[in-house]
Amino acid sequence: MSQSTVSVKTYAFTLLTLLGLTLLTSLLGLADLGRFSFVAAVAIAAVKASLIACFFMHALYEAKLVRVVMAGGVIWFLIMISLTLSDYLTRGWMPFPGK
Amino acid sequence: MATISIAEPPRPAPARPRLNYLTEKTGLMSWLFTTDHKRIGLLYVLSITFFFFFGGFFALLMRLHLLLPQGWLFGHETYNKLFSMHGIMMVWFFLIPSIPNTLGNFVLPMMIGAKDLAFPKLNLLSWYIFMLGGLTTLYALVRGGVDTGWTFYTPFSTSYSTTFVIAAAVGILIAGFSSILTGLNFIATVHRMRAPGLTWYRLPIFIWSTYATSLILVLATPVLAITLAMIAIERVFQVGIFDPALGGDPVLFQHMFWFYSHPAVYIMVLPAMAVVSEIIPTFSRKPIFGYKAVAFSSMAIAIIGFLVWGHHMFVAGESAYAAMTFSLLSYMVAIPSAIKVFNWTATMYKGSVQLDTPMLYAIGFVALFTIGGMTGLFLAALGIDVHVTDTYFVIAHFHYIMVGGTVMAFLGGVHYWWPKISGKMYPEFLAKLSALTVFLGFNLTFFPQFILGYMGMPRRYAAYPPEFQVLNVLSTAGASILGVGYVVPLIYLIWAWKYGERAPDNPWRTTGLEWKTPSPPPKHNFDVTPIVTWNAYDFEAQKEELQLG
Amino acid sequence: MADPSVLALREQFRNPEQQRETSTVGMWIFLVTEVMLFGGLFTAFSVYRMSHPAGFDQGSADMEFWLGAINTAVLICSSFTMAMAVHSSETGKKSRLAVFLLLTILIGLVFLVIKFTEYYLHYHDQKLPGILFHDTSPDAAYVQMFFVFYFLMTGLHAFHMIVGEGVLCAMLIRTWLGSFSERYHTPIELAGLYWHFVDTVWVFLFAIFYIPGAHLK
Repeated sequence: MSQSTVSVKTYAFTLLTLLGLTLLTSLLGLADLGRFSFVAAVAIAAVKASLIACFFMHALYEAKLVRVVMAGGVIWFLIMISLTLSDYLTRGWMPFPGK
Repeated sequence: MATISIAEPPRPAPARPRLNYLTEKTGLMSWLFTTDHKRIGLLYVLSITFFFFFGGFFALLMRLHLLLPQGWLFGHETYNKLFSMHGIMMVWFFLIPSIPNTLGNFVLPMMIGAKDLAFPKLNLLSWYIFMLGGLTTLYALVRGGVDTGWTFYTPFSTSYSTTFVIAAAVGILIAGFSSILTGLNFIATVHRMRAPGLTWYRLPIFIWSTYATSLILVLATPVLAITLAMIAIERVFQVGIFDPALGGDPVLFQHMFWFYSHPAVYIMVLPAMAVVSEIIPTFSRKPIFGYKAVAFSSMAIAIIGFLVWGHHMFVAGESAYAAMTFSLLSYMVAIPSAIKVFNWTATMYKGSVQLDTPMLYAIGFVALFTIGGMTGLFLAALGIDVHVTDTYFVIAHFHYIMVGGTVMAFLGGVHYWWPKISGKMYPEFLAKLSALTVFLGFNLTFFPQFILGYMGMPRRYAAYPPEFQVLNVLSTAGASILGVGYVVPLIYLIWAWKYGERAPDNPWRTTGLEWKTPSPPPKHNFDVTPIVTWNAYDFEAQKEELQLG
Repeated sequence: MADPSVLALREQFRNPEQQRETSTVGMWIFLVTEVMLFGGLFTAFSVYRMSHPAGFDQGSADMEFWLGAINTAVLICSSFTMAMAVHSSETGKKSRLAVFLLLTILIGLVFLVIKFTEYYLHYHDQKLPGILFHDTSPDAAYVQMFFVFYFLMTGLHAFHMIVGEGVLCAMLIRTWLGSFSERYHTPIELAGLYWHFVDTVWVFLFAIFYIPGAHLK
C-alpha cells in the first residue's frame, strides 16, 4: 500500500476550518463595519486560500521549487496591483493641475 | 571550396549519419504531427519569416509614402492602418516568437543534454495556436486592417474606430497563449531536465537569458490576454470599462496594456542577448567575462523590467509621484544591460577574435543596442520625454533595439547554428556582405529619425513639414538597402540548405553540448545522456578535443 | 497486468519520478499564469472600487448574498472531495477514487446551477450591463461598472469550472479504464491542483462582490 501525502484527518480539519471561516466572513458582511468590511473579507479570503494551497494542494509537502513558483505568482500579482494603485492613490498630491 | 575562415584547417566532415531528425521520417504528416523540438523550431522559422516579410512590406510602403512631405501614395486613414498592421505583425508575429521559438526551441534541449523539451506535445500545440492567432489577424488585415496603432489605446479602439479591432485583438490574444505555453515549457525543462552534473552555474548564458525570457512570457502575457479580451467585450456589448462616457478610465487601459508591453520588449531583447552571449565567446576563443554577473543581469533585467511600465505614460495623466518612481526604476533597469555590454566587450579584449558572419552580427548588436539603450535613458528622463514623446525619437530608439538589436542577433544566431540545423555551411562571402549591408542600411534608415524626432516630427503622421524632407528621404533610402540586406540571406540560405557544403559536427570548434552531436542531430539528440563535469565556455579544458592552437 | 507507471513514461524523461515532478511544476506554472489572468481583472476592479466605493457598495447590495455564501460552501466541499479523490489514488483505492471524482463533478454542477440561477435573477432585475441595464441609485454608472466586473469575473470563473468539469469527467473515464494505480496517478493530482485553484479564485470573488454591500440590504 502506498503512502498518502496528507492524512484524511488533515483534510477534514481543513474542510471544517474553511467552512467556519466562510461563516465568519458571512457574519462579518452582515454587520456594518464600513470600509473595514472589504479589507477584512479579503484578508479572510487570503487565509482560506493559504489553507487550500498548503493542505488540499499539498504546497507544504512538495519540493521547494513548487513553493517558489506559487510565491512568485502571488508576488507578481501584488506588484501589478500595488504599482497601478500607486498612480491613482497619489493623484493630486502635486499642486499642478492634472497631476 | 572550403569557406570556413578559422585559422587551423578543419577536421574532415564525417559521413552524414544515415538517420537524422530531418530524414528519420518524411512526408507532410510527419512534420505537421511532429513532437520533435527541432522540427517545431523549423515550423516556427517558416511562420515568422512569412510574417516578417508581411510586416516589412508595410514598412516599405510607409517609407515610400513619406518621401514627399504631403505624402502621395495613401490617404491618412490608410496610412493609419499601415503603421498599425506593421506594428502588430512585427511585435507579436515576428519579434516575440523569433528567437525563443526558433533558435530556443532547437537549441535549448540540446544545450542541457536533454532528449526534448519537458512537454513536446504542448510545444506542437503552441505552434498551432500561434498559427491560429496569425490567421485570425490576417483575416482582420484582409477585411481592411485596424487603425488604432499596435497599442490599441482607448476610447478610440473601443468606441470610435470602425476597423476590425475585435478580430485583430482576438488574433493577438490567441497568439499570446502560444507564448505562455512556450515559456511554461522552457521553465519546466530548465529546472527538471538538465543532464546529470549540469548545475545552474555550469549552464551557458543562452539558457540563463532564455529562462529569464520565459519568466516574462509566463507572468506578463496573461495580462495582455485579459486586457485585449476586455476591449473586445467592450466593443461587442457596448459596456464602458475604458470609456469615459460610461464612467470608464482610459488610463487604466494604458496601465494594463503596458504592464505586459513593457516586459514584452525584454522578451524581444533577452533572447537576442542570449544569442550574442554564445557567439562572442566562440569567436573570441575566451570564456565570457564575468559569467555570474551576466547570468544575474539577465534575471535582473527580467525582474526590474516589470517595474517600469509607467514610463510609457508620462504625459498620459499618471500622477507626478508615479511618474518619478517609474523614471527612477527605468534608470535602474539600464544597469544590468550595461553590465552585459561591458562584459561582452571584455570577453573580446585580448581574445583571439575571428570576424566570421555570426560575429559580425554580434558586434553589430553590441554597438546598436548600446545606442538604443542609451537613448532609452534619455526617454526615461521626465523633462526630455515631454519634448520627444510621440515623435520619431521614440521610433528610432525602439527600432535601434528591436531591429539593430534583436533582428541582427537573430540573423547572427541563424548563421551560427545553421550548420547544426541543416548540416550545411552557408556561403561566407555573401553572408558577410549581407551583414554589412544590413548594418549600413539600418543606420541610414534610423539614425536620421533620431534627429527628426528631436526636431519635432511627430510619429504616426501621414504628412510632415517640408523642412523634414531630406532626412525622410535618407531614411527611405536606408530602408531600401536594409530590405536588400534581408532578402539576400533568405535566398542564399534556401540555396545552401540544398547545395551548401557539408558541415562538420563542430565547425566553430567551440564548447557547448549542442556541438557534441552530429550535424544535423539525430531525433533524440544524444544516444547516451552526457554527464557534465565542466564549466561553460571552458576552452582551456577542452583544448585537445577541439583541436585549438 | 501492465504497470501503468511504465506504460505512461514518456520518452523525454529518464524515470517516472522525473516525469511526475516535472509535470507538477508545469501545472503550478500554469496556475501562476491563471493568477495573472484573473489578477488583471482584480487590479482593474480595485481601481474602480477605490474611486467609486458608493456605487460598488450599492452594486454589492444587489447581489443574492446567501446564494453566494452557499455557493462558497459548496465549492469548498467539492475541494474536499477532490482532495479525497487524490488521496484514494495515492493509496490505490480505485473504486473510492471513482466515487470521489463523481461526487466532485456533481457538487461542481450544483455550484454552476446556483450560479446560473443568480445570473437569471440579475437579468430579471435589469442588472445586465449594456442596453438592458436599469438602475435608479445616484451612482448608477458605477453600479453598472460593478456588474460589468461581476459578470466578467464570475463568468471567467464559471468558464474555468466548466472546463474543470470536463477534465474531471475525462479523469473518471480513465479511472474506469484502469489507467491509474498507487504507482501512477499524476493526472489526478494535476486535475486536483487545477480544481483547488478554481475554488481559491471563487473564495476571493465571494469576498469582493458579496461582502461589502451585504449589510445594506
